[in-house]
Amino acid sequence: MVATVKEIEIPKKPVPILGSLRTMGIVGKYMFKKPITTQYPEEKGEIPERFRYRIFLAPEACIGCTLCEQICPNHSIKMEKWDFKREDTEKLTIETAHGERTNLQNKRHIYPDVNFGTCTVCRQCEEICPTDAIYLTHEFENSRTRNSFTYSPEELTKQEQDVIK
Amino acid sequence: MAHYTELNIGPIHPAVHGILKFKVKLQEEIIEDVEITLGFLHRNAEKICELNYYADNMVYFDRMDYIDAMNMELGYLTAVEKLMDMEVPERAQWIRMIMAELNRLAARLVGLGAFGLDMGMLTPFFHCFIEREKIQKIFVEASGGRQEVNYMSIGGVYQDFNDQIINDIREFLKEFKPYLEDIYGMFMHSEIFWQRNDGIGILEPDVALDYGVTGPLLRGSGIAYDVRKDAPYLFYDKVNFNIPISHKKDNMGRFILKVEEMRQSIRIIEQSIDKIPDGPYFNNKAKKSMMLRLKGDGEVFSRVESENGEFGVYVRGNGTFKPWRVHVRSPAFKNISVVPVMAKGMMIADLIVIIGSVDTVIGEIDR
Amino acid sequence: MNLLTRIHEWFSFLGNPASYAIGYLLETLFIIMFVGISFIALIYIFRKYMARIQRRIGPNRVGKFGLLQLIADALKLIGKESILPEGRDDLAYKIAPLIIMIATLVSFIILPFGDLTYFGSLTITHSKITLILLFGILSILPIGEILGGMSTRSNYALIGTMRAVAKDVSFEVPMLISALAIVMISSRSFVTGNAIVGGFNLSTIVTDQIIPYGIIEPVGLIVFFISMIARASYTPYDLAESDSELITGYTTEYSGMRFGLFYIGLFGMIYLGSFFISILYLAGSNGPVTTDLGFIYLFIKTDILVLIAFLIWVSLPRIRIDKFVNLGWKYLLPLSVINLVYAGFFILYIR
Repeated sequence: MVATVKEIEIPKKPVPILGSLRTMGIVGKYMFKKPITTQYPEEKGEIPERFRYRIFLAPEACIGCTLCEQICPNHSIKMEKWDFKREDTEKLTIETAHGERTNLQNKRHIYPDVNFGTCTVCRQCEEICPTDAIYLTHEFENSRTRNSFTYSPEELTKQEQDVIK
Repeated sequence: MAHYTELNIGPIHPAVHGILKFKVKLQEEIIEDVEITLGFLHRNAEKICELNYYADNMVYFDRMDYIDAMNMELGYLTAVEKLMDMEVPERAQWIRMIMAELNRLAARLVGLGAFGLDMGMLTPFFHCFIEREKIQKIFVEASGGRQEVNYMSIGGVYQDFNDQIINDIREFLKEFKPYLEDIYGMFMHSEIFWQRNDGIGILEPDVALDYGVTGPLLRGSGIAYDVRKDAPYLFYDKVNFNIPISHKKDNMGRFILKVEEMRQSIRIIEQSIDKIPDGPYFNNKAKKSMMLRLKGDGEVFSRVESENGEFGVYVRGNGTFKPWRVHVRSPAFKNISVVPVMAKGMMIADLIVIIGSVDTVIGEIDR
Repeated sequence: MNLLTRIHEWFSFLGNPASYAIGYLLETLFIIMFVGISFIALIYIFRKYMARIQRRIGPNRVGKFGLLQLIADALKLIGKESILPEGRDDLAYKIAPLIIMIATLVSFIILPFGDLTYFGSLTITHSKITLILLFGILSILPIGEILGGMSTRSNYALIGTMRAVAKDVSFEVPMLISALAIVMISSRSFVTGNAIVGGFNLSTIVTDQIIPYGIIEPVGLIVFFISMIARASYTPYDLAESDSELITGYTTEYSGMRFGLFYIGLFGMIYLGSFFISILYLAGSNGPVTTDLGFIYLFIKTDILVLIAFLIWVSLPRIRIDKFVNLGWKYLLPLSVINLVYAGFFILYIR
């Protein structure tokens, strides 16, 4: 089955004025249909399950393998030395592919920080992460007033409203 | 000695789709000469591709023809997979084909809407974008991205189709068919639209071949060349569809042809959605951290039929994890080069319609 | 009893000259206020209507249902810096928008608005040649376009002006001829005595229309309607300011409130054209039941025409300049002449 070539049919020229009236009829028909606008800040449209935006980090699962840094197409992810305080991390648990993790695996203490100013949300860091430490969520309202869009590893663990803007 | 008026159409101008400049020499309103200046959106994508891993470059290809991202990805992937001898599971190929055709629909809708806007028709633009939004919602459901989807990956697709997506596509097509006829009617019943397009922007077939024009522009000149037919990739040889051609050579023929192609795209999607087999959607060789360890050696040229025509990608690997050279044969660049030929002797209002009819995306030209 | 004598009665304690002066001033102010408020309503309706056709919601943020949107827009336009282009002809550049705006406003004062229950006749201008006056004011508008376009030394504006002039010349002749057919019919009963003058009076034209002239001469109605679209220059015939080709044509170099004045001129012309058509062809303030509500009848007819105009605006593509000139000289002019001849035969027939 290969595609067949077919000459298009050219329709007849419309009658002046009558043709325009017909166009106006088709256009005017939609006046009686409901508008499809969603009024954004008040009503938020439903977000499909696979929609991703903001990058999060689960420091317990991160092993500092730097794969995310390597795969990031425009170097938005940089590895950074960072000390998480113990009591903070003990509260955080994450369900990973390898079970629940609470201990720090990261011997070198290097964690990704993400520059959202250049991040293209290609989701490859999530795809490549061997321990599912870096993951993206539905959260997408991360506008901020300060100039830098870089999220430190600590900020990446926090919800958007807790991040200092 | 003739006296000319020089008029700049662009770089920032409502008529140009993107950022490019037409310097027009006018004799009253008749166009004597058109000079095109490109490069306002140059981002060095080909060079950047050489610095990145094979899997990374998808992002840059998404942003070439940013309204037809799936086909751009497909062009790159067919090249890279040929280079690496990577096998793609059958399910992934069908999914790719559906997505590519859906995106062709979306891109055509943008083209139609903008074409209307160029002539001062305000309404079809909104209807086109309403429908495009539905396609993009399907993309979000499948991949998580709206426009720059980054859905296909080397060796398959990132995420599998589920029943909901298939249902949504079916539902969308059912609603879209009458809507498309309505949008088509908004244009075609108006005699002023005929006046503006009938016999305007005539492109002779030999001129089109000389300039390397492809896509609807070439088929509108009566030459039946479509990569989907002449060098079938994916499973385009396993579905029934028509390649519409027009011997009218003008804007009108091209417009009808584009709408007809949309109908054919719907046909392709309808057929392939029933044919998706079960099975893996991803080649395990390119899984997880192996994404960084994909090597390629040798050189390869691969082409797909994108929204604007034959989109070719040349990739040369030297056995490392990064390509040695990536080059893109951009259809829109060839298509835009023929505008001065088509516009010569026409009026300035016709030039705008011709630009709309050629329907280029500057991201792809400037790269 | 009309509005003038009514106001004169209220202020009669001031003596005749003063009360008449106040009367004229007040009724002119009333009409200008009415027109101003109508503009605001009109632009609001246009935006809502266009939004609904395009399946949007339209303005709904400023005030209840977005009713204050236009006032906010006007404030924004006034607050904006007026960027003056280099090398302009200063005087011409500055008076062009004023000419357009004032001419549009003044033309509303001439229209016969009909009766309203208590106030009596709302017509202000009691001249016998109001039709000629109105066409006189309409012919001022091209001067504003030309001054505005040529004074800025922009190539877009230059081409826009050329188009505007070509457009004006090609539609105004058919427009005048089809109006002449109206004058012929309406002056038929005045054939004896000082006759012809009566036919140029818009009030007598309205009272004469027991059957609307639009039914008697539909060709004239179509020609006049098309001419009025061209006069107001919205989409099928907005070649002079075609925004996808020439940015905004002769208003390209204008910004701030000066641009706003051109914008008011555009909507004013749509409104005026609708009034004009309903007066000349759709029996103006004549209504089915009572003559007391003449103004309301006129208003309803005008608004229906305005809505039709808006629908045309949003649905049709723009015509090319040479095709428009063709249309004007090759189709509209012969049609209007045929209409004129037909009107002559019609008068002979009913006599």
